[in-house]
Amino acid sequence: MLTIEHLTKKYGDFKAVDDLSLHILPGEIYGFIGHNGAGKTTTLKSIAGILSFDEGDIKINGLSIKTNPIECKKLFAYIPDNPDLYDFMTGEKYLNFIADIFEVSAASRSALIKKYADIFEMTNSLGNPISSYSHGMKQKLAIISAWIHDPKLIIMDEPFVGLDPKASHILKEMMREVCNNGGAIFFSTHVLEVAEKLCDKIAIIKSGKLIRSGSMDEVKGDDSLENIFLELEE
Amino acid sequence: MIKILLKKQFLEMFKSFFYNQKTNEKRSAGSVALYISLFVFSTVIVLGGMFTALALLLCSSLAAMDLSWLYFALFSIIAILIGIFGSVFNTYSGLYLSKDNDLLLSMPIPVHAIMISRLLGVYLMGLMFSGIVILPAVAVYSFVKFSVLSLIGGIILIFLISLIVLILSCLLGWVIAKISLKLKNKSFITVIISLAFIAAYYFVYFKAQTIIKNFLENAVTYGEKIMSDVYPLYMFGKIGTGDILSILIFTAAILLLFAVMWFVLSRSFIKISTSSAASANSKSGALRKKSAARQNSISKALLKKEFARFTSSPNYMLNCGLASFLIPILGIFLIIKKADISYAFNTLFVNSAGLKTAVICIALCLLATMNDSAAPSVSLEGKSIWILQSLPIDPKLPLIAKLLVQILVTAVPLVFCSACAAFAFSADAVSILFMIIIPIIFALLSSCFGLFIGLKMPNLNWTSEITPIKQNIGVLIAIFGGVLFIGFMFVFCLILVNIIGMAACLSVVAVIMLALSYLLLHWITTKGANIFKNL
Repeated sequence: MLTIEHLTKKYGDFKAVDDLSLHILPGEIYGFIGHNGAGKTTTLKSIAGILSFDEGDIKINGLSIKTNPIECKKLFAYIPDNPDLYDFMTGEKYLNFIADIFEVSAASRSALIKKYADIFEMTNSLGNPISSYSHGMKQKLAIISAWIHDPKLIIMDEPFVGLDPKASHILKEMMREVCNNGGAIFFSTHVLEVAEKLCDKIAIIKSGKLIRSGSMDEVKGDDSLENIFLELEE
Repeated sequence: MIKILLKKQFLEMFKSFFYNQKTNEKRSAGSVALYISLFVFSTVIVLGGMFTALALLLCSSLAAMDLSWLYFALFSIIAILIGIFGSVFNTYSGLYLSKDNDLLLSMPIPVHAIMISRLLGVYLMGLMFSGIVILPAVAVYSFVKFSVLSLIGGIILIFLISLIVLILSCLLGWVIAKISLKLKNKSFITVIISLAFIAAYYFVYFKAQTIIKNFLENAVTYGEKIMSDVYPLYMFGKIGTGDILSILIFTAAILLLFAVMWFVLSRSFIKISTSSAASANSKSGALRKKSAARQNSISKALLKKEFARFTSSPNYMLNCGLASFLIPILGIFLIIKKADISYAFNTLFVNSAGLKTAVICIALCLLATMNDSAAPSVSLEGKSIWILQSLPIDPKLPLIAKLLVQILVTAVPLVFCSACAAFAFSADAVSILFMIIIPIIFALLSSCFGLFIGLKMPNLNWTSEITPIKQNIGVLIAIFGGVLFIGFMFVFCLILVNIIGMAACLSVVAVIMLALSYLLLHWITTKGANIFKNL
């Protein structure tokens, strides 16, 4: 589904991501953990086609984001760590805008918007301007906008920040549902308990370099993810 | 406590003097001095000077007619109006919808301390604006007809006017805050109100001489009418002359009003100040309208998004789309004043009908330079640029949508105005054709040029949208670049119209503009799109 090959991204002389390679298969929830400034967001933005990179390649279903950015972007949805959405739109207009871009039919979008807005208890807020939303509501809207075009791959940067416990629980279920239907999820998180319980595989990044990756058992064995993470960070 | 809050309040009010709004860096001492000097110059010297001149013009005549009270009544009304106009929006945002209300209310600060600091900010703003008018009036009167009583009366008048401004600003600010929380299309309403103020300003500006002349000629009649119909205004004017009874009555009445305002505000301050937009919306239950969803093409969706951005912001519309409001007004004006304007143009261009057409085309283009929505449009993406960058769209499509907004909001009113001009000047078919196509092609060129500059000089890191819209060198270059091009166009036509003829000359202009537009458009859709993708 997603193949990252020797990804290197530099800011001047500083290597934010250094020769990172990962392979994410359909049906997998892949967690991406690392300290602040480790290079998680840079990696996710590179996958999303927001940042260009210096070396390596990123392929989604065999298509390179470098050479086929539009075809790649049709396959995934991206949710950033801080959902800066269009404050001048209402929630509903924003969802329709995203649905238009992904060419979601009128009937299908209506059903999906209703379904996810109801699930996240956002139905009554969709008519309000996004500028009046709280951080959590914006996050929910960003999640709904990601789900309404039925992407094969969902890339999320700290998706649980700002969500209430119920919404977090719903999101976890939705993530599992995507994977059960043959999709894949790649997300970063600082909440190790979530990663431990939710992910099929995880990758740990430190100072731009991938220091460990694989299935949960391969990475942590019998120890807790927290202990492994702290050991690796030292 | 109040001292700390006041310090914060003043820091907030005068932050722009000490910190660069764009970079948030502290200004140098020289820069601070320059900004303060500019502020003092524009308020005290220019505005104060203007009202001093008006006071000098009226004071002697009215004092000689024993109508000193009318002099003070007139200046008091102007001072109150200007004071309210200047401070009401500050009251609205500073007192009722201040962003740190929640923060301050959550801290162990007495509510009255927050209110005092807020009100003092509003008061000083009102005093500054009303003082620009009433201070010169009192000073000039003291100079023309000095007495200790009138000086005391003048000082009391300044104080009372500032209190009236404060009371009315609080009342109107509250009304505006309430309305703004409920309005759906408040951007358009703000634009219309702003335009009405601009129109009123220019009306008064152009008619000032006539109004003053008329006022002086009929001062006695007006004075008698006011005394019989609006006696309190007569009494209020008497304060400035040092009339003790008037001073006592109005001081007592205004202080009483102030006390009532304080009482009402202190009872409802927490409720009002915590009625944020979000809570107001949720309380009003702005439920989603159940409308049938429609699928739009990608291009249409992007265009709708750009139009939503444009129409959502009064700042954006007023600063970058003013011509769209003014051009149709000009068209109607041309029809109303058809005879006069046609006569003036026919007299001016008696030997060159061709040049007349060219000048009309150039004038229409000049109007179009007031629209520059494409120039700040890239910067206005701000932190939400990730959305367009992560969507499966060709990066040139959002840029084309940005261009189309400026072209449409400019070209449509231009076509209307061209039609009005064609009617007003009884133009022939060829002239009509050029009156329509030249401004449209110019709208295309100026949009492309604006977007080109916007892509070359983007600024995505802003906290206030005013930064990319107004405090942006790229926008200035886009506007003045357009004006400069029109200057060249004028000189070109002036030289060539009588040699090669109007049709040939304007055709060359059209071809040049189309060629430049093509080059810019090519750059925008290739290199520009690449820049946009990687911002």
